[in-house]
Order: sequence, then structure tokens, then C-alpha cells
Amino acid sequence: MKIYGLELIRGLGITMGRFITTYTVGFRRTFSNRLRGHVRQDVSQKGIFTVQYPEERLQLPERFRVLPVLIFDGKEGERWSQETERCTACGICAKVCPPQCIWIVQGKDASGKAVPKASEFTIDTDVCMNCGLCAEFCPFDAIKMDHRFEIATEERWVSHIHDIDKLHVSTEYYAKTHPKAWAKEEAKRHAEAQRKAAAAAAAKNVEKKA
Amino acid sequence: MAGGKILLNPTEESVLEQEVRRHVLITPWDKLIDLVVDPVYNWGRRNSLWPLQFGLACCAIEMICTAASRYDIARFGAELFRASPRQADLMIVSGTVTKKMVPMIVRLYDQMPEPKYVISMGACATAGGPFKEGYNVVSGIDKFLPVDVYIAGCPPTPQALLHALITLQEKISRQSVRDVRWYKPGPAHEIPVPVLGPDLIDVRRTDEIRACVAPVSTPAPPAFIAAPKLTAAAADGASVRAVEVASRLNEAIGAGGAVPSGQSVVVDPELLDKAGRYLKLQPDLNYDYLANLTCVDYQDCYELVYHLYSIGRPSSDPLCLKARADKRNPHAISLTGVWPGADLQEREVWDLYGVRFHGHPNLKRVLMWEGFEGHPMRRDYLEPYYEAAGKIFPSRWKEGRHQRAEERVPLGDNVKYPPGFDPSAYRPQPELFKPVTSKSVDRLKTDMIAVNLGPQHPSTHGVFRMRVVLDGERIRALEPVMGYMHRNHEKIGERNTYIMNFPYTDRLDYICSMSNNLGYAVTVEKMMGVKPSERAEYIRVIMAELTRLVNHFWSIGFLLNDLGAFFTPALYAIEERELILDLFEMAAGSRMMCNYMRFGGVAADLPEEFLPMADRLVRERLPRAIETLDGYLTRNDILLDRCKGVGILPKDAAVAFSAAGPVLRGSGVAYDVRRAEPYSIYDRFKFDIPSLPDGDVYARYRIRIAEMRESLKILQQAIREIPSAAGEAEPAKKLWNIRVPAGEYYGRVENPKGELGFYIVSDGTDHPYRYHVRAPSFINLTALELMCKGHLVADVVAILGSIDIVLGETDR
Repeated sequence: MKIYGLELIRGLGITMGRFITTYTVGFRRTFSNRLRGHVRQDVSQKGIFTVQYPEERLQLPERFRVLPVLIFDGKEGERWSQETERCTACGICAKVCPPQCIWIVQGKDASGKAVPKASEFTIDTDVCMNCGLCAEFCPFDAIKMDHRFEIATEERWVSHIHDIDKLHVSTEYYAKTHPKAWAKEEAKRHAEAQRKAAAAAAAKNVEKKA
Repeated sequence: MAGGKILLNPTEESVLEQEVRRHVLITPWDKLIDLVVDPVYNWGRRNSLWPLQFGLACCAIEMICTAASRYDIARFGAELFRASPRQADLMIVSGTVTKKMVPMIVRLYDQMPEPKYVISMGACATAGGPFKEGYNVVSGIDKFLPVDVYIAGCPPTPQALLHALITLQEKISRQSVRDVRWYKPGPAHEIPVPVLGPDLIDVRRTDEIRACVAPVSTPAPPAFIAAPKLTAAAADGASVRAVEVASRLNEAIGAGGAVPSGQSVVVDPELLDKAGRYLKLQPDLNYDYLANLTCVDYQDCYELVYHLYSIGRPSSDPLCLKARADKRNPHAISLTGVWPGADLQEREVWDLYGVRFHGHPNLKRVLMWEGFEGHPMRRDYLEPYYEAAGKIFPSRWKEGRHQRAEERVPLGDNVKYPPGFDPSAYRPQPELFKPVTSKSVDRLKTDMIAVNLGPQHPSTHGVFRMRVVLDGERIRALEPVMGYMHRNHEKIGERNTYIMNFPYTDRLDYICSMSNNLGYAVTVEKMMGVKPSERAEYIRVIMAELTRLVNHFWSIGFLLNDLGAFFTPALYAIEERELILDLFEMAAGSRMMCNYMRFGGVAADLPEEFLPMADRLVRERLPRAIETLDGYLTRNDILLDRCKGVGILPKDAAVAFSAAGPVLRGSGVAYDVRRAEPYSIYDRFKFDIPSLPDGDVYARYRIRIAEMRESLKILQQAIREIPSAAGEAEPAKKLWNIRVPAGEYYGRVENPKGELGFYIVSDGTDHPYRYHVRAPSFINLTALELMCKGHLVADVVAILGSIDIVLGETDR
């Protein structure tokens, strides 16, 4: 004779077990007011799975991407300038952008000759698909994907169009959000500078000998 | 001074006014409102925002995750997702708003009682997002509804949605009952529902539309190329196989009926059904499986393309059958009689290309609506926001001053109408459905009634609609209605360069972006002759199999939701999915829209901590999670009762209807592209292809559980064997303007939902001439009516859940 409902009770047992672990495993956490800041949930995570946003938040991985930003060499709080910005207005980001949300005006000097600086740089964040191709293909490490995701606004017509002033963040900020990528890029730049210096020295030697 | 009125000069008046305001107008009642009523009222309002259970696209998945245990929107008093607009305060417009869907959205909004709030979630809902240029996309829900909070991002993560909710709560705290919209005198403000005409008609703008004239100059349309040459003999470049099949067809259907052309055979469109029947019924050919059907718009013809495979005779080579329809009055014979799986695909070709299929039982538009002007996939069809034939748009660089697409068009919106169109005289075309004329099965003297399930319905897994004819509570007929999320993937894809299509493939089946990436990469790499490095191949397999786990966890969780086990199984499943998404985020930077594969490798090598975590997940946690799910559900009496014997798809029908993936394998056909035509390095791994003969909902459920176990096997092998040479996974040279040699290719992979195929025709430039996606979710729906007939309404929900569709892929 088949007894109905046994499997049902077994299934409910699993639910009950889960219910209990939320108290036993996470007991200390449940009844302490200490929230943990940035949380990285592990494979062995049991019990309460909830991250108490906004008091706690998930640890973002370095590669996390939301909107693109432009980088200038400097400290946080400083303003970018034509000397410190890295962008050369080469346009590769605008060319690789799938929804074509990047607009660049190449700068001109006093005589009207084109210079490798952007005079206007606009990203329409309402079209941007956060794919990160611009950052991936930029040859100058000038455009990067930002981590800031708390970007809800009450209007979109002005604040969602990011112009060159709004886009620029400092290298200090970038080094903080992307420590590994920053170290790698710095090492590469350093090696490149050394190589160039060595090449220049060699050229000088050749000149001397001649 | 008459009437005691004091005349004052202006300065005195303002002084007096100030005095009066200070002493007289501010009564205790006002203070009461400011200090007591408003705070209490706003506190109540902002902490009990009940969202409407309503999702449109990819963002909806993140919205569901926000409601699940990791982010737990309940902490904000907003966990009560209401299925009825009449009980909801908050509409989270989560995803792409299409023209076909916007009348429903406006109607839902109108049905919500005041006070009501709107969050526009993601770039699409806010302004059209990456799909803005599409012909079926509304550039922002705020064109119709008043939006309170916008979130940029594609998609915003659950935490970003919570931030938006907090922003909305702050906005509510600033409100005062004295000036809120809903306590103002006068009738309630209702938004008129837009009409679907030759294009979307905003009825508030009738006069503007009538007065609007077409722009003087339009950008040049994309160029045509000529159809591939017909090659009568092998000497001209036709493959031996094509010559052989063509000569046999010529014998069978009449001389001159079939000509080889490269790898394919071109048949007279009037003789298609004869040719098809011959190819299917000849025992040594036995092409019983029509994998893909599409059309290419060439200069001189519309070329219909059929990709045929043989499941009954796995040793047969695949065959590409073609037919060329005349450009002026394109038509062909329908193949639904030979392969019923052609049904929806032929309707799609009719809808998008305007090729008429004679003999099709129900030929009408499938993605757009009846009455829409034009066939949008034709190359000379230009969207309202059309800017240039191919990306990169010249307006973006060097003199790239920002300009919204709206500023370039006369009506300031993504619409265009035929010249002289008068919206006030327009009468929308009625929807026509197949008539149902069978007698009542229950011998009840009741009328048959037609019921619409969807497009806004919690059980339809997105904006999908089923129009069912009921006899009592039994289904007599069912017609799937789709296109509510048709966001013009292929049209945009043909304008994109090859690399730009990667992030768009993420948004096809947005649960499985990694394996979509893989399918596209594999196809284009075949055309380019590129081979990724060993390490990249392993990474790809690991990602694709993790994706299969993600998808099956999700679909099993939600199948149970559909059966009425509200949210508990889904919550458990989502929890495991979240941990896999952490891995994706770690490697690719995004939880859902990974955009991780590149031609010849992956975007970036794995971070150091990836493999240890993946290994622990795959060996320790996930096997246990699958056991739990299995133990929790598989022998549960209610599940057995609801699923066994329901929605049966017999083996022959499954093949004939071109079903794929777990639906096909659940009907007893052990067919899997990973085995039938191994791609990447799947030939190195040991795994089984589970199949069950029953063909019911329960079989499909069990297939998914079994497939998850097989995926774990593959993952364990792949993680063990992956070569450790770090840094080799990226392509040797990163090129943003890759050119693909001219030619055509149909590439396919086994996605969690079934066979995902990409058919690409290249003309040698940097963007595809034709880019077609064979979407398993779309084609699996062809057999939906067959599975549902005779069952109860409640079963339809379970059957649909067991097919496991994703609307991003169904409608593309």
C-alpha cells in the first residue's frame, strides 16, 4: 500500500532544515549589530545568504564593470587638465562601441591644426550597454570601466549624458578600484619607458662613435 | 473707501503679504500636516511599496534576483510582488520597451490605483538603450509614463536596483499630501493607450503625426550583393555532395529543378515541397530534421535557406537546401507539410522579408503586428533612426558632437508613417486566429471561449502570450503570440561589425550569455579559420557548462513556481546560481552580460582565484545542491501528479517539429550537438547524453537534473586538465575591425535550451551581410499546441515551463 505524502514531508524537512540553519549557522551574525562592510560570499556559505545592502555590500571583483570613465594622471579631488589626461582622441573606443554611444570631438590648437586631445568627449549612458569593449581596446589605458553602480537619478535628460568633465577620474581612484590591473599597466609602462631610454642611449652611443 | 477696502501701493502690499503669511496663513492645521501627517503618511508609503509582478527583458532577471534571498527586497517592505496591477504601487519597468508591448504597459499603468510610482530600470527602459536604433523599440518609457527614478546600466545589478528603491523612498519622503498628484481636484489623469498602426501611434500626438512630412534627405541604404553563383558541375566549385544530391533531385522532381551551388543545392521554389519530401523519405538520405530556415535578401532574389540534418541516420552529412524567390512578388511553397517545424520560421520569413509561403496553414506576422508597414529585414527597409549602412557611424568621431537620435527625426521619436497617413482615420486590424471547429469533448453544453494568457502574466516567463480556446477548462486550441520583445537583434547585427555582435549575443538568451558567446565565436572562427589556444578552449568549456548549470537551476526552480510551489524551490536554485554568477563576474566583469569570448580566445585570462573557487564549487557545493533539489522534488507526490503524462511530445513529433535540447531528449532522442558535431574540445570529455522516452513534463524535468550531473562531470575533467600557461587565453592580436572572408556558414552549439545556430553570410567586409540566429526557444514553441491540446489551463503553464523559453531569444 502506498502511503501518500511521505515524500512531501521529506521535502518539507529540507525546508525546515534550511530554516533552522539560518539561525544556527548565522547565529552570531543574526543577533549582532556588527555588519561587515564589504562581503565576499564563499562556496561554503550556509545559513543566511542575505547581504544587508546598503549597510553591507558585496565585494566587487576587480573586473566588475558599469559605466566607462576617462583617466587622468593625478590625485583624487584634483581636476583633470589637457596635460594630465591620457586620451589622445584616437577614436578607437568610439569605433568599437557596439551601440555607438561615444562621441568625440578632436581638439585643435590655436592655428586650427588637429592635436591629439579630445576637446569634447560625451557618453550617452542611456545607450551604453556596459560591455567594456572601449576599455579593452583603448591603446592608451585612457578609458576604463568604473565600479560605481549607485547611479539612480530622478531625471535623465541632463545627468545621464556624461561629458568630458564628468567622465574624468584620477589614476589614484583607478588604482584603488583596479589594483591588479593598475600594477600590471604600471609595470608595462615602466618597462616601455626603460626600453625607450635604453634605445635613446644606444642611439647616442652610435652617434658618438660616428 | 468703498466696502472697507484699503488701497495699497505695491511695496506695502508685499510687506503686508509677508505679515499675513507669517501670522495668519500658517495655521495649526498646516503645522499638523508638516509635522505629523506627512511624515506618517510618507513613512507608510515608502515602506510598503508593492511592485507589480511585471518584467520585460533581461533586467527582469536581475529584478527577480533582487527579490531572492541574497538581496532580499523584503527588507525594504517591497517584497509583495503583485500579479495584479490593481494591488500594486510600483511599476519597475525592467527591460526593453517594444512598440508591440507598450500598449499593454500603458494599460497596466492605468489600472494601477494612485498613488503609483515608476522605476525605469536599465538603459533600455530609460531611453531604448543599446537597442534604441531598432524598428520595434520605444526610446524610453518616459515617452508614455511619468518616471520617478531612472537607473542607467545594462543591466543594473540587484544592488543598483535596491539603490534605486532607496532613491525612490527618499523621493517619497519629500512629498507632501498638500501637493501630490492624487489629491488634486479634477478627474483622474489617465494615459491614453497607444495604437498599433503602420507604426506605433501615440494618440496624444495625432495632429503632429498628420502634419508631419518625411525628411528631405535620408542616408544611403545598405548595398546589395548578388546571390552566390549557380555551379552546375563540381569543376565550378560545387561540392561533390551537392552535385550528387542535385542530380538525384533532378531525377525525382523533374530535370532542371535542382542546381548545385557551392555546398548547397538550389531548388525551384515551386518544387520545394516535392524536393523536401524526397529528401526526407528516401531511406539513404533521411533528412528528417529541419534545423534552421531563413532568408537572405540579395540583389536579384530572396534566397530561402534550409539547413537539414538527419537524426534517424546520423552518418548523413548535413545538407543546405536553398530556393530563390523572385524579388518583385516573392513566394515559395510552404514546407510545413514536410517538416512541421517550419511553421513559425516561415512565418518569421514572411513577417521580416515578405516572402509568401503557399500552403502555409496560418501565414501571418509573428514578430511584428498585423498592419505594420513594411518588411523590416529587407535591406532597403530603413528604420526611423537609421543613420548609416554600417557601423562605425561617421558622426561619432573627430567631429562627434553629442546628438540624440530623437533630434535627427521629424517627430522626435522612433516612428515613421507612410506619406499622407492620417492617424484619426486609422482603424487597427483585428487579430485573426485559426478557427476552432471541433465539438465539445466533455459533452457539456458550453460555448468555447478564447482566453489570453499573457503577454503580462507571471507564468509565461516573460512577455509571451498564448491565445487558448477553452472548452470548459480543457484546451482545444492554442496559438503562441510573440514579438513583444522583438528588439531587432538581426537587423542591428547586420549593421554591427563582427566584434560588436558579442555583447548583443549576451542579450539573446540572457540567462546563458556565455554559451551564446561561444556559439557566435565558434561560427565566426570557422569562417575565419582561426583556432583558439588550448587554455582558451578549456576556459570556454568551463564557462559553457557553468552556464548550463545556471540555466537548469533557474528553469527547474521556476518550473516548480509554475506548478504552484511558490518561490521556495526557485529561491534555493537562485542561491546556487548566484555563486556561479560570482565566478562569471570575477572573470568577465558582469553577472549576466558576460561578453567574454573573442575570436581566437577569451577577453581576458581567468583571475587567479577563479579556478580554486570553481573547483570547490563543482566538487563540493553543486553536487550537494543538485542532490538536495532532486531529493526535494523528484519523488514528490504533487510534482509527480502534475507532471507525469502531461504535455506529451512523441518521439516522431519532436523530430518533425524541430524541437531541440532537453525537449528533444525528453522525447527519447539522444541527440546533442556536442556529440553529433563536436565543437570546441567537447570530443575530449567523457559524458553521457541522457534521454528519456516518455516525452512529458516530468521527463524534461528529469533530463535537466541528469544534464546538470553530466555538466559537473565535464567541469571536473576540464578543471583538472586545463593547461596552466597563464596569459595564453587571449587572442594573439586584438583587432577591433576584423574582416571575415566572403562565404556563408551555419554554425551551431548545444545551448542549455537546445541547438543555438548562427547563420552568417559574409561579403568580405567587417560586418556580416546576413546574420541570423536559430533560436531554440523560438523553434521549440512550434510544438506547444500539440503538447497542450486536451490538457487543463493549469497544465499549460507547467508545459510552457518545461520547454524553458527565454523571450530575449524567442523574439530576438
